[in-house]
Amino acid sequence: MTAEALDQENRAGERKWRRRSLWSLILLVPLALAVESYDSVKALLGNNDLFPRRVVWGESAQFGGSDWKLTDLRGAFGMSNLPPDSVPVLADFQVKVGNPDLQKLWLGCKIMLIDKDGRRWSPTSIISLKTPDNVGNCISAIFSGAKSGDTVNLRETFLVPKEATKSIRPAVSVASERPHFLLFHLEKD
Amino acid sequence: MRKSANLVLMLVAAVLCYGLQISKPHYGELIGPIPARGKLGDTVVGRAFEVHAEKVEFARKLTVDQFGQQRVLTTGGVWAVVTVEIAARSESTTIGVASWRGPTGLTYDQTERLSFMNGLLPVAIDPGLPRKARLIFEVRPDEASDATLLVSEKLVAALDSQAEIALGPVAVAADGLPAGTVDMLDMAQPL
Amino acid sequence: MLESARSRLKAWTVAGIGTAAAIAVAGVLGAFGARHEPLPVLAPASPIDTGEWLLRPLKAYVTVEKYAYGTLLKPGGKALVLEVEMTNRTAKSTKDYFDVLQASPATVDPATKPFIVLTRDSTMSPELHPGMPERMAYIWQLPDGAAAPASFNLTVIRKTYKPRDNLYGLPGWFNPTPAGTLTIPVGAGPDSPDIQP
Repeated sequence: MTAEALDQENRAGERKWRRRSLWSLILLVPLALAVESYDSVKALLGNNDLFPRRVVWGESAQFGGSDWKLTDLRGAFGMSNLPPDSVPVLADFQVKVGNPDLQKLWLGCKIMLIDKDGRRWSPTSIISLKTPDNVGNCISAIFSGAKSGDTVNLRETFLVPKEATKSIRPAVSVASERPHFLLFHLEKD
Repeated sequence: MRKSANLVLMLVAAVLCYGLQISKPHYGELIGPIPARGKLGDTVVGRAFEVHAEKVEFARKLTVDQFGQQRVLTTGGVWAVVTVEIAARSESTTIGVASWRGPTGLTYDQTERLSFMNGLLPVAIDPGLPRKARLIFEVRPDEASDATLLVSEKLVAALDSQAEIALGPVAVAADGLPAGTVDMLDMAQPL
Repeated sequence: MLESARSRLKAWTVAGIGTAAAIAVAGVLGAFGARHEPLPVLAPASPIDTGEWLLRPLKAYVTVEKYAYGTLLKPGGKALVLEVEMTNRTAKSTKDYFDVLQASPATVDPATKPFIVLTRDSTMSPELHPGMPERMAYIWQLPDGAAAPASFNLTVIRKTYKPRDNLYGLPGWFNPTPAGTLTIPVGAGPDSPDIQP
């Protein structure tokens, strides 16, 4: 083989491999981005409530190892000393404990009200209404030592603007199920 | 010809690199709070909250109600009390931090001497329900004019909104205190 | 052979000059000057500037009361109270005054941390604001059975300002070092007069 012919062959080989490398970049760059951001994405999904699991009011749903049912959602009218145009709303749940390891499964328990615009309300500390003895909130239920098969009654109180009362729906989220969360709605929603 | 062109290119590259090094933002600026600017009376909109500064009052002494007893709080400078209205935008959150930045850059944090009182930070806010709060600072009289109020949710508002509200010029009275300084402001008054 | 010897000599000379230059620069920058100098003795009557704080000790006394400026003291024990006027000389409100004054181990148990109270309204350890002098009280619980001293020694600790620290690039005060010592006479009670400048 002449030197020129060898040279030509080498150059052709180089060109082929250069083209292959450039094409493989299309695969490698997104792969590198995915690997670098894997931890961040996992944290994002583990800390935010992004995907609702819709449950009809009155039915129960498996969540965090137990069966959750929304029993009541009502406003408390006639209270004084409230900010203008605000209504206290109570959400009552009845939970049949399945897996009793509540400290792990219900860690980071958050009960909130979500309206049609996606605004979220957390329980309020401005007002406190009298609750019967057997009713607690989510945090007290975690440490109540409930056993499998027990029924736990939960109530959370919220303060929402009057104009939001028509569209608010209760939602429950726990760290073990994030990014999914339970969203209770009326049948007609 | 080649050599001089190379030299010129190297010098240009050196100048470019030096410029990049000088102008690189520091880590503190990169992770700092994102300002949302406004004036006294405007509603300043941040990411998760909005704040509207209503008025600024100055006083020599404050009267407070502690455990049923009236107490008078004195200061070596002047008391600056800013009444604000804050609301959450899309989620319930708390506003925890407010500072008074004087015209020379001295930053005065909220006073810790009234921690027993209501209506002070941290304040829990819900969407659609604006709340009033009082931000109370002890400042030097010469830092009262052209000051900026800084409000944010958390102490280290990294990459999150911090409201910067320009409080405007304040005239100085003959005794060195801001014009309109009252002798006593009663903090037990409803907001 | 002479050729290689000459080039070797050149190599050794260059290396020698380089090493000597490095040692000289290090010496100029202070590597060999880190001797232990005695701490300066400060006068209690004049203001002490530590960079972060401007301190003016006012008076010291021993109290046997149950409360000193609103702080509950050990019943039956004695407490050493030092009143000092402090001015924050930084650009931001701070409460970094817990390590500024250290009482000598001869008077106070080194493990005892003082209560630091704003005397104006007995608030416990509030933030002090830039450019505003405030009278603070440092209250050390004396060891059980200790006699009230006639005077006691204080060490003043100074920190240096770094506009950008090494971790976050944010300004701060670091590297506490003793700046001086002072001896404060201890009065009989809260009514003793202030030290005059």
